[in-house]
Amino acid sequence: MRKNPYVPFKAAIRGIRRETGDVSTFLLEPESGLPPGAPGQFNMVGYPGVGEAPISLSRVPMEGSDLLEHTIRAVGRVTYFLSAFRQGDEIFLRGPFGRGWPVNEAGGKHLVLISGGLGLAPIRPVIQMSDKLQARRITLLHGARDPGSVIFKTEFRHWRKKGIDVRLTVDEPGGGWRHHAGMVTEIVRELQIRPAETVAFICGPEIMMRFAADELFLKDVPGSSVYVSPERRMRCGMGLCGHCQHGVWFVCKDGPVFSYPELKGYPDALF
Amino acid sequence: MNGENTSQKNYEILISRQQLASWVEGLRENFQLIGPVGVKDEAEFREVFSFDEINPGYRSTMLPPGKTFLLKPEEEILSFDITPEGPVAKEPPLPHQKRVLFGVHACDTHAILYLDKVFLGAFPDPLYRARRENTLIISLNCRAVTEFCFCHLVGAGPFLKAQSGYDVLLTDMDGEFLVELKSERARKLFRIEGRPPEEKDWKRKEEMELELLKSFSKDFRADGLREVFLSRPDHPALRETAEGRCLSCANCVMVCPTCFCHDIYDETRVSRTGIKRMRRWDACQDYSFARVHGGNFRQERQARLRQFVFHKLDYEGQFGVKGTVGCGRCIRWCPTGIDLTEIAKEMMK
Amino acid sequence: MPFSSGEKWRPRAGFFKFSCCTGCGFELAYFQRSLEDTLKSFDFAFFRLASSSGDFDSLLDLALVEGTVTEPFQAVELKKIRKNSAVLYAVGSCAIAGGIPAIKAGGLELEIEKRAYQKKLYRLTSIRPSVLGDYVKVDGCVRGCPPGRHDLEEALVSVLLDRKPEFIEYSVCVECKMKGNICLLVDEGLPCMGPVTNAGCGALCPSCHRACYSCFGLMGQANIPALKDKFRQLGLSGEEIERRFTLFDGLKLKK
Repeated sequence: MRKNPYVPFKAAIRGIRRETGDVSTFLLEPESGLPPGAPGQFNMVGYPGVGEAPISLSRVPMEGSDLLEHTIRAVGRVTYFLSAFRQGDEIFLRGPFGRGWPVNEAGGKHLVLISGGLGLAPIRPVIQMSDKLQARRITLLHGARDPGSVIFKTEFRHWRKKGIDVRLTVDEPGGGWRHHAGMVTEIVRELQIRPAETVAFICGPEIMMRFAADELFLKDVPGSSVYVSPERRMRCGMGLCGHCQHGVWFVCKDGPVFSYPELKGYPDALF
Repeated sequence: MNGENTSQKNYEILISRQQLASWVEGLRENFQLIGPVGVKDEAEFREVFSFDEINPGYRSTMLPPGKTFLLKPEEEILSFDITPEGPVAKEPPLPHQKRVLFGVHACDTHAILYLDKVFLGAFPDPLYRARRENTLIISLNCRAVTEFCFCHLVGAGPFLKAQSGYDVLLTDMDGEFLVELKSERARKLFRIEGRPPEEKDWKRKEEMELELLKSFSKDFRADGLREVFLSRPDHPALRETAEGRCLSCANCVMVCPTCFCHDIYDETRVSRTGIKRMRRWDACQDYSFARVHGGNFRQERQARLRQFVFHKLDYEGQFGVKGTVGCGRCIRWCPTGIDLTEIAKEMMK
Repeated sequence: MPFSSGEKWRPRAGFFKFSCCTGCGFELAYFQRSLEDTLKSFDFAFFRLASSSGDFDSLLDLALVEGTVTEPFQAVELKKIRKNSAVLYAVGSCAIAGGIPAIKAGGLELEIEKRAYQKKLYRLTSIRPSVLGDYVKVDGCVRGCPPGRHDLEEALVSVLLDRKPEFIEYSVCVECKMKGNICLLVDEGLPCMGPVTNAGCGALCPSCHRACYSCFGLMGQANIPALKDKFRQLGLSGEEIERRFTLFDGLKLKK
């Protein structure tokens, strides 16, 4: 008998890292071994009696690692509920779902990763597998509201050691902030690239993805080399419940990662 | 009768109304019989106990048969027992009721094929699949149309052209019924001696369809809509209809045979002894439908109405067919008479 | 962890009433088959319909408040309840939209008092009716007259599980269609308020062949002018239409 796709599996919380005031990273060990997962994919994360919410993988289980990670901001019904959980508690997952980042396209190219706020979470697994990408060069451009809301702070040093060019910016600097101040689009503008040899993965608020992409298009990067990951309401994750429909797409199963031209022109979005 | 002659001809038989009645009633031995009861476009699909209750000349129903019986308005998809180790998921028993859906019009048959694309795709829905497999679909070509019908404009009727995905196709040939058996199980179940249709019978069927085609009143051009839709998403026809007439009541979506959207939510009793994970028909016309934390992708009424109109008349790239089957229910049951074909016409001007 | 073994959390709750018929309190006291579970799950510090004793000043995890504020002392009490409570839900149309006590909101206070009581007006301390939200922050609205099972249970469960509630926001038509009722408005031209009214009742009236009169109040996404237009087309007078829309939502629409 085929497996019922609505049945979640349990995962034990092996650790919780506080990223910012309301963002935490949950280190999770599924009870029945690790399901495969790819950067950019998501799980339906939840708890019975509360519901489920689509949350990107912020760490994909890889060789030598027995944990997957979700980085969650406590804002919605499910995420706020989960924020009270402690190490040793169990949460419920279904997944992984969706089409992730086209990491194979980075081979031989300049991979430009652009993220805003919590949008760095689904980008992080790409960075973690950076040595396997065979990219010519990797740049991470990350923007946050203020220094206090930058996630994965402790990891930037490690990423730089791996050869990734990490550039940070905040809208509201302060507290000894030594990096750029301003919108993430500004540091995209400053970037030197060869457009034909560039591939970009962008994740963040929709308006930020739109304008970051526009900056790349001004540099003559073709639309088909720019990938974005929009957020939509989801109830099932499998293209059944219909909430995430955007134009002809189900963001959950056809996405969440789309090449820019795939989304362009549909109403109810900024692309 | 003897199964020796298995030529194609044998799958097409003309029988009398009386023969049909006794065959259908005979199916009740193993199946629950669901058929259209009532008159005009307010008939209703419900369980019947004799063929006489069924009105084969019904024109339409408010609720579509496929969605109502295959994707129930509300049902439990999962439950959780509370144990000392925490909640434990429990699958609901699969529905085993064998059913006949009798008298499904061409539009509604196409709607079932559309729902199949959603629920039997990459992630088959266990409850839908079980019901679908247990349901024998006996389709029926229309002999009359309503003023709201436009199946002829979207390739879904009035006569059913699909060759598979359902079991039997009936055509009321003025006293006789033409029976076309479309599935293996139908061939096994149908054991009635009739008269093989002749050339003149097929010709008669064709004429009937041509006659029927003359009685449609809706008319709009479906091709070329895509460009207009995408270039004028804020067209006044949409804006004015939304603000002036759309009540956001979601009646259109509820009665739509292809609207498959549903909400999933957990029902917990105060006793905290168990949890039911439920699904319930949901509608893009509801404000909360596209809401996420910190925003709503279809905050405006116009955006929600547009989603319905575009999804029905365009967005063929989603499943390779249009989201509409032209049944006209959304027009018939809209309290303010909003007509998506009129909006399309207005936008094409 | 909300469902782990061992002692379950038993929140302290209070049920308070202002100007209303006490129907919502009644609904809770006769809470379908769940009253026993409700009393087991909650420690009710104040609930007049369940016990005549009670501590009005108790600190609470959950305050359920029904009724409209129509007297000055009620505003003072309400603020006190708010201060004492972690979560406060407004219960019923009176508390949320004004309901029946707010029918008088359309006229001048003194004229209405004269008409209603004729004399001895010096004894009256009544003020213009207000919904709870005018005085205090309300954490959620348990709509209804009285509320339906789903929303009332959702209110209680949300506190038991310490999560945000999810109340019904769609129209009565959704429930009505799911029941398969032939539409009274479309088919018979009855002035049914279903298309603009928040669901939760299970389409009770239309299921009994009676037009909805919006006792659950207007839903958030209601298109009021559009339904008024429709009612005009059905031949209703301006006053008849106004009455239908202000019977329970007087405060929302007369402001």
